[in-house]
Amino acid sequence: MNFRPYALLAEVTYRCPLHCPYCSNPAMYPGGNELTTSEWQRVIDEAAALGVLQAGFSGGEPLLRPDLAQLIAHARQAGLYTNLITSSLGLDAKRAHELREAGLDSVQISFQAEEAVLADAIAGARAHEKKIAAARIAREAGLPLSTNVVLHRRNIDRLREIVAFAASLGAIRLELANVQYYGWAFLNRAQLLPTREQVHTARQIAEEEKARCREQMDIFYVLPDYYEDRPKPCMNGWGRRYLTVNAVGDTLPCPTASSIPGLRFENVRARSLAWIWSESESFQQFRGEDWMREPCRGCPERTRDFGGCRCQATLLTGDPANTDPVCGLSRIVP
Amino acid sequence: MSSISPQSRPALAPGARIQTDRVAGQPVLLSPEGIQELNFSAHAIIARCDGKQTVEEITVALAEEYEAPLDELREDVITCLAELHEKKLIVVS
Repeated sequence: MNFRPYALLAEVTYRCPLHCPYCSNPAMYPGGNELTTSEWQRVIDEAAALGVLQAGFSGGEPLLRPDLAQLIAHARQAGLYTNLITSSLGLDAKRAHELREAGLDSVQISFQAEEAVLADAIAGARAHEKKIAAARIAREAGLPLSTNVVLHRRNIDRLREIVAFAASLGAIRLELANVQYYGWAFLNRAQLLPTREQVHTARQIAEEEKARCREQMDIFYVLPDYYEDRPKPCMNGWGRRYLTVNAVGDTLPCPTASSIPGLRFENVRARSLAWIWSESESFQQFRGEDWMREPCRGCPERTRDFGGCRCQATLLTGDPANTDPVCGLSRIVP
Repeated sequence: MSSISPQSRPALAPGARIQTDRVAGQPVLLSPEGIQELNFSAHAIIARCDGKQTVEEITVALAEEYEAPLDELREDVITCLAELHEKKLIVVS
C-alpha cells in the first residue's frame, strides 16, 4: 500500500455558538459521545505514527473543548504542525497565551463579512465585534493569523471591502472560499448560490486584489466549482493524503463523506487508525482508479483530478461512483 | 527579476517550521496550508535563514562547508530562496 496520510483534521466537537447556513457540521449528526482527552491523544499518536505531519483542530467550535491546549501540546510533542480553525468566540488573552504555550503553530479565524450587521446576520449571532477583538488577541499572543471568509450570494459583492478588512486585522493570509455545496450548504443552496455574473466579477476582483496585496497578505481564492468545467482534485484523491476524525470518533476519508449514503465509517474506539486507513471499506472504496467509470476510466486527467468529488457526485447524480458532474465530460449537468 | 539579492536577509515566514518527516526520513517545511519537501541543499539553505545572515553570508558559509564554487552556489541559493519566497515560506528584509 503506497499511500500514507499527511494531514489529520480533528473535528473535536460539533458544538458551536454560530449558526451559519453553510455550516460544515454534518446535516445528520452521528450518535455517540465526544471523544475524551485520552482518546484524542491516542488518535494523535496513531496519526503521527502513520506519517501525518499536520493536525487541524476544527469543529464545530474547537475552543469549546476545555482540553484544547492539552490536545495541541500533545500533537506538538508527537511532531505535528498544529493549526486551529476557529470562529474565535471564547478566545481571550489567557486562552490565547495558553494555546501559544502549548505550541500552536497557526490560527485561522473565520469571518462572515467585513461589517457587523451583515456578518452577524449570516452567523446568526452577535459575533463580529468579538471576532475582531479575538483576532487582535491572537496576534498579541504571537500566533500567526490567517482569516477565512466563506463567499456566497450575500457577501460575494463585497470582496474589496473584505480584503481591506482582513489586511486591517494584520492577517498574513486570507482564504476566500466560495461555498462548497454539501451538508447544510446543500440544503440551504437556494439562499447561498451566487449568480454567474457575481462569480465572474468576484473572480476578477480577487485576482486584482491578490496581486495588489502580494507583499502584505497571501490571498487564496477558492473557486466555486459549480461554474468550472473541470472538477477539483478533491482531497487530492480519496484516501491518499487526508483523514478526518469527527467529534464522536468516526474516521472519514473526507470531512463531508457522511453525505454518501451506504458508506460505513469505522470508529477509532473500535479500530486502530492504521487499520482504518489501510483496510477499511470506506477508505478503500474510491482509492485508486478501479472504481472509476467512463468518462473517468480512460481520461488522461484522472491522475490529476481523481474524478473530482465523490460527495458532489452523490448529491447531484445520486451515485458516488459517477464522474463529478462539474466535469464538462460528464453527461449530467449540475 | 528575482526578489532575492545577495544582501537580502531571509527568515522563515511566520507560521512556517522545519520538521523531519519520520516516514520518509526527510526534512520538510510545514506551514498553515502546506508541506514542502526539502532536498538536502534546500534544507542546508533554509536552516540558515535566521533573519540575521544575508544571502551572501549564507552562500559563503555553505561554500566553505561543502567546498563548492562560490558563484555557482550563489546562483543556486538565490534560485532556491526565490522559489520559497514565491511560495510565501520565507520573508526577506
